[in-house]
This record gives sequence, C-alpha cells and structure tokens, in this order.
Amino acid sequence: MKHLKPMNEKARLLDQAVEQGGVDEVVAMQTVAGCTATTDPGWEVDMFGSVAGLCQPMEADLYGCADPCWWPAQVPDVMVTYPDWAGEAPSAGKDWRKLDAVFPDDES
Amino acid sequence: MSRMKTLRGTLGRSTPMLALMLLTSFVVGCSRSDSETTQSPEKQASGDFMVVMNRPNNLHLIDLSARKVVNTCELPGDFGPGTVAMGPDNKVAYVLTNRFENIYGVEVDTCKIRFSAMQSQGHERVKSIASIAVSPDGRELYTHQNPTLLLVDRFEVQETRVAVYDTASGLDARPVRTLPAPRQVTIMATGADGTLYMGGRDIYAMNVKTGETNIALASQSIGDPSESLRDSLTVWPVGAVNHDFVRMYSNALYEDDTQNLETASWVWGFERIDLDTGEAESRIFGPLEVVLFSGMARPSDANQFFGVLTQLKKFDVDAQKELMSVDLEHSYYCINFSTDGSELYLAGTFNDIAIYNPDTLQKLANIELPGGDMAMANTRVFSRSP
Repeated sequence: MKHLKPMNEKARLLDQAVEQGGVDEVVAMQTVAGCTATTDPGWEVDMFGSVAGLCQPMEADLYGCADPCWWPAQVPDVMVTYPDWAGEAPSAGKDWRKLDAVFPDDES
Repeated sequence: MSRMKTLRGTLGRSTPMLALMLLTSFVVGCSRSDSETTQSPEKQASGDFMVVMNRPNNLHLIDLSARKVVNTCELPGDFGPGTVAMGPDNKVAYVLTNRFENIYGVEVDTCKIRFSAMQSQGHERVKSIASIAVSPDGRELYTHQNPTLLLVDRFEVQETRVAVYDTASGLDARPVRTLPAPRQVTIMATGADGTLYMGGRDIYAMNVKTGETNIALASQSIGDPSESLRDSLTVWPVGAVNHDFVRMYSNALYEDDTQNLETASWVWGFERIDLDTGEAESRIFGPLEVVLFSGMARPSDANQFFGVLTQLKKFDVDAQKELMSVDLEHSYYCINFSTDGSELYLAGTFNDIAIYNPDTLQKLANIELPGGDMAMANTRVFSRSP
C-alpha cells in the first residue's frame, strides 16, 4: 500500500485492517461469490467517474441489477445459484435488512 | 450499467418442473386491489389500461383513467424479469417470468392461465433476456433463447435461437419450430407484416416462416469512422403505443479522423423501426450528460423525445437539444405514454407508477402496486376504447 492512499471510509477501513494483520479478512471481503466476475465499481461510481448518474437510492437499482446478474450486482447470483436470497424481501427499499450474506454449500 | 456482461451460470439448480406443471394446471390466485393514487388525479383520456409485473410474482391490470389497480394475478414460480407482451385482443398478456425461463399467457381480467411454456427441458437450461413478442394475429409467440446443456462434468453453451410457440397450445406448450438467431438479443417486437425485430448488437429482422435474418438497422456494425462504437442499454420494449421498436444508444462523435475522444462530442441517439412500414431510422436527439435507461417519442409529437433514469428529460429531436429536466423522487427504469400522448408513465425499480405531464414535467400522481419491486419489468399500455 506504499503507492495507494485511501480516499474514503471504506478504503481507510481496508487499510487499517491490513495494518492490524487482518489481511485474510480483507481478502475474504474481496471474494466474488455472486453474479459478477469482476470487482468493477458498480453502485459506487457512475460512467463519468462521479456519483450523480447513479440510481437513487441504491435500493431502487438492486433487483433490477441482481435479477439479470448485471455487472454492478456484486450480490448472490439469484438467477441460478441462490434463487431464494431475496425471497423474503420483495421490496428492496423496505426489506433490505432481510438480505443477508450467503456462503457456498459444500453439498451442492 | 453501460456494459452488459454475458450471463454466467455456476451451479445449476433446475426448476422443479413437476411442481410448476401442477401449479399451472389451475387458475392462479386472483385478488382485487384497493390501491389508490397518492395524489389527486387529473383524469386523462379514458379507455387506457396498463399491465405490469412486480414481486413476488404478480401481474397487475391498471385502469389509468381511474388511476387504480383493478386486478392482480398471482403467478406460479419466481419473479424475473417480468417482461410483458400484450396479445392483439388486449385481453391476454404474455409474461416472461420464473428467473427468465417460463412464459405464461394470462387473461388479465380473470387471471386464467391460457398458455404456459417452460423453456428449460431435461438437461437444457434456457434463459431469455426480456425477449418476448406476439405475432400481429396473436397466433404465435416468439422468445429468444439462450440454451446451456447441463452435463455431468461440464456445461455446454448452445447456439442461440428463436423459439416459436402456437398460442393455442394451452399449458406446457413446446415450440412448434426453432430458428437460428443472433446472440445478445434483449428485446423483440413484431411488425404489422409479421417480421420479428430483435435488438442485439444490431437490430435484426427475421422472417419467422423461413428463419431468414437480415440487419434492419446497423448499430455496432455500422463501421462509421466518425463515431465510436454505439452503446445501447436495452431491456425495455417501450415503443408499442407508437407502433415502434425503439431503443436509445450513446456514443462519441469524433471531431476529425484522429478519433480523439478528448475533443469528441458525446451524444444520445435513438434507433427506431416503424412497425407499420418497416422503415428504419437512427437519429441523434441530444447531448450525453446523464445516464438514461429507456426513452421514447411522445405519441402525439414525434419530435418530442423523453428519457428517464434518475432524471426525466425532454428533448427536441430536430434541434438535438434538451428542453426540460426534472429530478425524480427515485430512479425509474421504464418510460411509457398514454395512447394519446397526454400522460407519461414511469415504472420499474420500486412498486409505484409515477404519472407526469409531458408538457410541464410536473408529477400528477403515483399509483402504488400491491407487492414489491418491479425491478426491470416493462409496462404495456393499451386502449380499450371502441
């Protein structure tokens, strides 16, 4: 991290985790286990490198991106692997607390 | 969302087909809704109705004059994408649902399922990306299929194709024929002569009898050195009230043959097929300043083009100029109009339809749908006036 300077809260937390020996946790946070194979900015930066073009609020865009496994949707793959991820949360804006992390099932 | 990635399959989880077949042998749940507008409505031209889907897997019929949901059909299976195509009788809606796989033909007034097709069969998983269309006479239904063979030791991506269904086949229908089709097709519409138009890298025209397919409008293959590759986000078939197949694109117009992006002009344009005549048109309508997801011309004035995402914008096509813009209460994906062009409807994302005055861009009302998010579902507006 000699040449990178954290510019926002998330980046500072990642930096602190490295300094505190939490590299494994940082790596785990970057593991892609959902729709997208990339870690491109999705709901963080718009096509102009800013934020004004992002959907408002982010929850309005969540299922529209997650259902077709669109690239910003770094969430569980609801099209094939985790179809029930949002089954108890028909409204992303109201039910987002029910959207939890998922973990690979060794038996599947 | 300016780049669309090819869908990836990981571990396959096949649909419980038996359960779905049993479910579709019954009339699905039907409930009347008391949803009302949240603002005092201004009445518009009578006779217009809208159909739209939302979570968990509802199909709604909305009386736009009364600003009220008049019927809600609970469909079997899971939601997604919720793309709707209307039969020519304006009574049966054909929906793509259950995670982009199943099609149901539903009588919107009674909720009776008249037609169903499970596109995935055996070891072949089939997904369709918002690509569903009905022939002008209502006798055939078309989907664009992305098949994958789920084998014991590997998945095999198969060639894409158009599946043709006989809408009189009833439940658990199988295609009466399949036709090779281009990849990356995301929306479809049929012309008055029966031609099937498909939006992918280009806009293709298919003869659904012979399978012969031509480029009706060159988009990414246009090969014009004065402009960059066109970028089109297109999963909302929205032009039906204009008898149009329409989608927007954005790209850069180079200043000279050095193709310098630093000095290029960034623009919005639309690509349109007149579904009555087959005439193709591509025009720039304004500068690219914000992201817009869907757009269409006003039915009463083709020179007025509207686009939506987090803002609602109105453009003068001839002048290639933005006329008006308003910030929305939240982002909406899908735009539509009343058949006479007097009202503009915004849908998708959450569960409310926002109604705007296209002259002033003032909001007139919201219609709240029972249930959850519409996500990437489209709306269909049609008139039942004699």
